[in-house]
Amino acid sequence: MSRAVGPPVRARQTEAEPLEAELTEVVESQLTDRPWLVIVWNDPINLMSFVTFVFQKLFGYSKEKATRLMLDVHHKGRAVVSSGTRERAELDVYRLHEHGLWATMEQST
Amino acid sequence: MSTPIKRRRDGRYTIRLDPGVRAVLVTMSEQLAPVLSPDDPTTKRLFPPAYAGPVHESVEREYRELVDNALINHHRQAFELVARTAQAEVLTDVELHTWLSAIGSMRLVLGTRLDVSEDMEPPPSDDPTAPEYALYELLGQLQYLMVEVLAAELPDEGRPEGAL
Repeated sequence: MSRAVGPPVRARQTEAEPLEAELTEVVESQLTDRPWLVIVWNDPINLMSFVTFVFQKLFGYSKEKATRLMLDVHHKGRAVVSSGTRERAELDVYRLHEHGLWATMEQST
Repeated sequence: MSTPIKRRRDGRYTIRLDPGVRAVLVTMSEQLAPVLSPDDPTTKRLFPPAYAGPVHESVEREYRELVDNALINHHRQAFELVARTAQAEVLTDVELHTWLSAIGSMRLVLGTRLDVSEDMEPPPSDDPTAPEYALYELLGQLQYLMVEVLAAELPDEGRPEGAL
């Protein structure tokens, strides 16, 4: 992530802008640039085959990939099932909630 | 036992279910549809938080304001469709997908109320929760059969990136 914000910072320093404004800009650009991760959490109710089915149906994943993600959720407690812009992640979370899966989103670190 | 849910040549599905099971689907749909809300303890589980990690509460609040009504409507329409079509012997593809979603929601409500865990033993038959647990299990079997039939229609290799 530092790669994306490095050069603009140096460029602005030569123009002698106030440091505070510059830092704010860097923070904001990090907030928008870093992808959002959509995470599905393990729950004791949803059937394993149903979770796999939802991953295939919503994301168009192959049966193999959907099964692998489902097993990650089951054994590790959570899995990242998609990532992208904040809007995209909100949409994916919404669609997963429509299907009763326990999904949240967070920005990658 | 013959398969209670079977795909027909015309792409629709034959549904063979006990009248008692159909009656349960109607009852549960009619009970849940009017109380759907993130604030109702019974249906709260259908509205999980969206944001995790270090975000301000206001972000989650904004998201909820944006989607809660749509999510309530989604679930309500699913329950209404199940109540309306519960006696049907043939369902379209869209209707069966909606049944699957609604039955999943019913299980979430029951499972939350029963506080189920993954390696849970069924309660003894004289336990006050036994009937509700039996219903939870029954809906699970029904959901399993529906997934089996519907999943067979999805391509194993998935869809090309970006396709819907």
